[in-house]
Amino acid sequence: MEIKDQKEFPVDSASLKDVRNFARGLFDQVSEFEDNKEELVLALAEAAQNIVKHAYSGKPSGDTMRVEIQYQEKVLTMELFDKGMPVIPENIKPRKLTDIKAGGLGTFFIGQIMDEVVFKTTKEDWVNRLILTKRF
Amino acid sequence: MTYQVKEENNISTVFLNGEIDMDVTDKAKDAILPLIEAGKEVHINLKDVEYMDSSGISVLIESHQKATELGTKVTLKEISKSVLKVIMMAKLEQILNLD
Repeated sequence: MEIKDQKEFPVDSASLKDVRNFARGLFDQVSEFEDNKEELVLALAEAAQNIVKHAYSGKPSGDTMRVEIQYQEKVLTMELFDKGMPVIPENIKPRKLTDIKAGGLGTFFIGQIMDEVVFKTTKEDWVNRLILTKRF
Repeated sequence: MTYQVKEENNISTVFLNGEIDMDVTDKAKDAILPLIEAGKEVHINLKDVEYMDSSGISVLIESHQKATELGTKVTLKEISKSVLKVIMMAKLEQILNLD
């Protein structure tokens, strides 16, 4: 089963549940995701949360973020686009395992779940583009 | 997310329910932290938590640290499979009190 869909969501913490449900609706169609569906949902939701929390500093903007999900030829690609503050990839540091704190935990989770995490700048009208990839 | 608090034998048990993400972090903290600040031993029952992300984990960490600071204790009870998976992914199973 191959899937491909995209949707825009308001950049708001209240949208995170909608982002998760969008992903769940698609992942339910793919038998290969049966064992780790919720992990994939977590990785996507953490990335969306980082947009709300960091690219927009948690401030209301009226902007939307776009989520694109594609599973083709045993490769899952989840892309997130936003118009927030440009991300400087070098500044993104996952939490060290010895730190007992929450900061950077979301980025750590994404790294644990996905095979590849790549930041790119701009596509059409967007500022940040994050590409999460996992091979099955 | 919804929650209920029950008191028994000087222990406050907070029953969390639903999905815990950034949107409900403040609500979860409001349910738990005042109990710890009042010096109570707190149990957080997670059997009905279907989803928890890093923000939810941050509430558990903050609760644990606040309790340690104030000389009391927070224990996580009946942890759902999905939450346990996230706690273990964060390598916190040796740090938080799990029961």
